Amino acid sequence: MRSTWIAEAAAVFAKDWRCELRAKHAIATLGLFAVTSLIVASLALGPVGIDTAERVAFAPVLIWLILLFATAAGLPRAFVHEEETHTATALRLSASPSALFAGKAAYSFSVLAAVEAVVAPLAAALLQIDVARPGLLAGALALGGFGLAVASTLLAAIVAQGRGRTTLFAALAFPVLVPLLALAVALTRAALGAEVAAGILAQLVLYDATVTVAGLMLFPAVWNP
Amino acid sequence: MSANRIEFRGLSRRFGRLAVLARVDGCVASGEVLPVRGRNGSGKSTLLRCLAGLLAPDAGEIVAAEEGRALEGEERRRRIGYVAPDLAFYEELTVGENLGFFSHLRGIPPAVATELLARVDLPAERRAGALSSGMRQRLRWAFALLHRPRLLLLDEPFQNLDGPGEQTARALLAEHLAGGGLAVVASPVLLSLPATLDAIDLDR
Repeated sequence: MRSTWIAEAAAVFAKDWRCELRAKHAIATLGLFAVTSLIVASLALGPVGIDTAERVAFAPVLIWLILLFATAAGLPRAFVHEEETHTATALRLSASPSALFAGKAAYSFSVLAAVEAVVAPLAAALLQIDVARPGLLAGALALGGFGLAVASTLLAAIVAQGRGRTTLFAALAFPVLVPLLALAVALTRAALGAEVAAGILAQLVLYDATVTVAGLMLFPAVWNP
Repeated sequence: MSANRIEFRGLSRRFGRLAVLARVDGCVASGEVLPVRGRNGSGKSTLLRCLAGLLAPDAGEIVAAEEGRALEGEERRRRIGYVAPDLAFYEELTVGENLGFFSHLRGIPPAVATELLARVDLPAERRAGALSSGMRQRLRWAFALLHRPRLLLLDEPFQNLDGPGEQTARALLAEHLAGGGLAVVASPVLLSLPATLDAIDLDR
């Protein structure tokens, strides 16, 4: 009897959530960071500080910066923790690399989606922004979050194998994540009422597809000795 | 030729300037135990990690076969049974959840994990983080035998086990060998084991 690829990925996803719900490493870090950043920003630049147009321009940058730093703070632990606690050996002996990558990426995406579900409405409320296109905002958060989760999962796997992990993550993340963040900010800005730039949605979908295929292809080389 | 077999020739591995393994050869087949002896730091664990596919040797060749079928790369890693001190489990999860997770990954019915836990006398509901070192070793044995491997790599297999624990581990090994399995056993001390071949001495 052999497990299917989907069943393996689902087992990794469920295991990561079960461990997280018991230990609360990522949730506590990410939640505290996201809420604190938003409150500080809204106190400094809230409704009385800047006008509506500037808020629509500023809020997407704030949201995606928070999501980026939350990702950097919490998600590399996906693999670093496995290596540091030596559970990676048992995983290497038991899981197919691509299913492991898919399970870890799905877990990262679900954590990020939970952070987005708090950050986006809170940002809109604290900065008093009316969301002009809620469907587009959900799409921007889903597509941007997916790309961020998949790319950061691959980066986390690379970083977990090396020394100087924090510096390495920052150095690798810059060229990989900047295009994604630029697209996600532009689409979020459009969702909040700015003019929609043509092709951004398609470019974001293309980025997500590219990073997913690259992740599935590269991960075995990173993970296997 | 034996259905189950591990043969390695000229295995070498360096860590930076330190040559840990230098042209090591060995061969073990169905029903046999190949002991690997040596002082601490002599390369016993490195050799087993190379054989398990957890570490790539710098030079040399490894041929592994299970039931007559050659095992390479990822398949070798996933088919081999491995007990070693560097094997750890999820401390937040219970013993049963840990073994259940690895059963899911391997597509093994949960009943097999339950049966193995009973065999090594481990409480399924105990958190892995709360296990003693001897109980962790029992869990490593259960993990290694979960998928009924034919090729077993044992690095200090009786470490930290109490009398009954060692007895159970020896019985599991004897059953494995009687069923046509093979084992490579690394230990700094001479272990009394059945069907033992001449040891590979890494101190030479």
